[in-house]
Amino acid sequence: MNATTRTGFKARSDAALANPTLKTAIDRTTGTAERKRAAALAGFAEYEAARSRGSAIKDHVIANLDHYLEMFERNATASGAKVHWAATESEACDIVIRLCREAGAKRVTRSKSMLGEEIGLPDALGSAGIERVETDLAEHIIQLAGEHPSHIIWPAMHRTREQVAELFNADHKPPPADDEAASMVQSARHVLRGKFLSADVGISGANFLIADTGATCTVTNEGNAELTTTPPRVHIVTAGIEKLVPSTSHAMALLRLLVRSATGGELTQYTTFHCGPKRPGDADGPEKMHIVLVDNGRSEMIANEFRDMLRCIRCGACMNHCVVYRQIGGHAYGGTYPGPMGAVLTPVLDGLAQSRDLPFACTMNGRCAEVCPVEIPLPTLLRAWRGRSWRAGLEGPRMRAGLAAWAGLARRPGLYRMASGIGVRALRLLGRSGWIGSLPFAGGWTRHRDLPGPTGGTFMERYTARGARRPEDRR
Amino acid sequence: MTRATRPRVGLFVTCLVDAMRPEIGFAAIRLLEDAGCDVEVPTRQTCCGQPAYNSGDDASTAAVARQVIAAFEPFDHLIVPSGSCAGTIRHGYPALLASDADWGPRAARLAEKTHEIMSYLVDIRDYTPGGLRLEGSATYHDSCAGLRELGIHDQPRRLLAAVDGLEMRPLDGENVCCGFGGMFCVKYPAISDAIVGEKADTVERSGADMLLAGDLGCLMNMAGKLNRRGSKVRCFHTIEILAGGGNGPAIGEKP
Amino acid sequence: MSARDSILSAIRTGLGGSRNDPAAIAAEAADLLAAPETIRPPLVAATLVDAFCEKSEALGATVDRIGSIDEVPASVGRYLEGQGLSAEIAVESAALFRDLDWGDLRPRLAVAPDAPAAVGLARHGIAESGSLVIHSGKETRILLAFLPLHHIVVLRAASIVSHLEDYAALLVGHETSPRNAVLITGPSGTTDIEGSYVRGAHGPGFVHVILVFDA
Repeated sequence: MNATTRTGFKARSDAALANPTLKTAIDRTTGTAERKRAAALAGFAEYEAARSRGSAIKDHVIANLDHYLEMFERNATASGAKVHWAATESEACDIVIRLCREAGAKRVTRSKSMLGEEIGLPDALGSAGIERVETDLAEHIIQLAGEHPSHIIWPAMHRTREQVAELFNADHKPPPADDEAASMVQSARHVLRGKFLSADVGISGANFLIADTGATCTVTNEGNAELTTTPPRVHIVTAGIEKLVPSTSHAMALLRLLVRSATGGELTQYTTFHCGPKRPGDADGPEKMHIVLVDNGRSEMIANEFRDMLRCIRCGACMNHCVVYRQIGGHAYGGTYPGPMGAVLTPVLDGLAQSRDLPFACTMNGRCAEVCPVEIPLPTLLRAWRGRSWRAGLEGPRMRAGLAAWAGLARRPGLYRMASGIGVRALRLLGRSGWIGSLPFAGGWTRHRDLPGPTGGTFMERYTARGARRPEDRR
Repeated sequence: MTRATRPRVGLFVTCLVDAMRPEIGFAAIRLLEDAGCDVEVPTRQTCCGQPAYNSGDDASTAAVARQVIAAFEPFDHLIVPSGSCAGTIRHGYPALLASDADWGPRAARLAEKTHEIMSYLVDIRDYTPGGLRLEGSATYHDSCAGLRELGIHDQPRRLLAAVDGLEMRPLDGENVCCGFGGMFCVKYPAISDAIVGEKADTVERSGADMLLAGDLGCLMNMAGKLNRRGSKVRCFHTIEILAGGGNGPAIGEKP
Repeated sequence: MSARDSILSAIRTGLGGSRNDPAAIAAEAADLLAAPETIRPPLVAATLVDAFCEKSEALGATVDRIGSIDEVPASVGRYLEGQGLSAEIAVESAALFRDLDWGDLRPRLAVAPDAPAAVGLARHGIAESGSLVIHSGKETRILLAFLPLHHIVVLRAASIVSHLEDYAALLVGHETSPRNAVLITGPSGTTDIEGSYVRGAHGPGFVHVILVFDA
């Protein structure tokens, strides 16, 4: 939904690299996340078994997705909720806006949901003239800043404490006491309290949809989801169709993986199963509950090479451990979802032509797949996008010509020998001192680092010169 | 050792070693022979195909893969002084040729007998180098493909422990990518530079005299960055040290 | 074609081939929960109560152990005094609490935003994680667990279950599910600013458990 075309990936990543404050902010959050996750897993000896079981649960759901969607719809309806289906992001937004209007909503509170960001719900509410109050602390911060999330767990992680203080000082009345995190949390709590209780509609996402109860599950540490979904007259849930699990027990097995991988906790402070609207006689709760099931490209992934991505439980571990994300942050990716999982999903959502850099801006080091709690082979999926990009002819002509020349040589060993011999001799002329500090056509390398020159003739030349070894030479 | 028990191994030199640092290839031959192997270097080899593979050009990669398979299938083992190239042959080729009735099974058979050299020496040959002495301290960077695609972690450390006088120092973030990434470092030079800059910081903080690793691509990246910063850390492929080359010129030093 | 039909048909096309019958799917789903001890952490202590308390306290909650429900007001009083809080408290409208002699305390049913303290009743405790479970209902206002600064929760020791699945097994079918089932695991907090933990975000910054051993 976010316009990836506003500026190119390279311009955005260059701007990010030139921003030392951003780097400080990224290092603080991802560094902490990495340490806490490692500590949590060190105390969970069953992790590897839990991880394979978790991915098997998600695979089972996807293999029977139609069955579970219908089961969920049946049970959610029986609990009194109304289930809606949206094939695209615009259909989803239209449904939510219509429901808000039907409820006569002037003010809606929203509990952080990346699906909501994916479908562009914040902007759609704004265009519909409905006041939107983001209740998650990080979403509150980026709402004040007029930004999009830069991380799926910590949407405001690109901002340092000092930068948050600037925003709060300008907006909060009274302003926070100082720029310590604790004071700013208190300030946001104070500002948001009144808005929670006066909202007409509360909108949340769902971490899981429980097929056998029809409940939606949210996890938060702040308690904002329950304050968003309980006081208003209407609760609207927007959720991707891949969020299904067979039962609450299956959700529990995945929660153990999700929370440890995301924040290093064992469970979030609040794990809530929302099953229908207020029951007769209930002391509180919304009168109506609507659940909007959103496809937006997911059903297509079932049949193509990106199916494994439907296992994703949105923990953010892949981005916390990604060397590229840790240099450029989330906004440079240009899509709703950043980091390795975003580099796989953004081409699905925004089109490959718009986001072609993402699968290439990766060193293929595999750490994302290593830390993924549901064993998604992220480098393999990124490689699949590279293949599609090549086959679609999206590579530039220089790249294609260069690679064609290389492939021509690589398939003719005799010719390759000759060409590499000439190349090595040329490089040796440039690198007489051992190092090459500047090299035409390799500015990308030598702008930032020296190139060690070749040490002599090629291996093959020297090996052949030694003569074919006879059996009696062998020790 | 009788002829019958000596495995016949084909050395896949890799394009980078061939062009930039043949010493690594000769070190591989020396170690493999010392570990009781008959080593041959098939001349019908060029590159494992990663430039095409990582660019999404699967057709060119498959063509190169077929050439490598044909050249190396007569051998008992294919040995590579690079985790990255070994990973491509072990995992990339079978995946790429999976639907080919002829080449698919041949790719799978070659993958089974393909090994990165340090893991081959330890896991298959149970080899310990003898009579090595090198004064100084070193730190080891786990190259990503070797570490994650092939599970190479303990083997280089076990081999290096046999070098008398060499003090091994821990490297903070030893399992974090150096930012090389093949084509990545030239396509996104600024990001790559930022990553290798942090790697150079940790290498210097280790206080070691030498940086060792198992992939020449990563080593050229880290050595190039360290040298640009004026660092005195000397970089070697681990098998150069194991073959007794630790007193020779390091990567980038004039021979 | 409705969005519902087009989504389901796209999924079926994507999945292709012959499909499992519901009984086979259910059997496979059940198998995925087999041998739960292999995919979850063991309890941190030998008994459910000790494990629950150890986990709760590690999360920053405090625990008081009492012998009977009648002692709840005295326990609440001790906590309020220790925290320097006023005797004005919001109390859940559970029948269990109505018959108690609250003495000097002034219990109210209404809970205001940022009320100093509220007393609620948990359905269950979960030993694995130190979680308290509350269910919405006629007597239980969900907001009572979120609006006050201090949340005092009465939990019967006998209602502590071992692991998350043991609680989840109680929620099958919408008939057995309350509107809201909330697992409270420690006081409200956030790490949204630079990843550093701050206690007390939107929910209560303090959770105090009164554990009742009335067998």
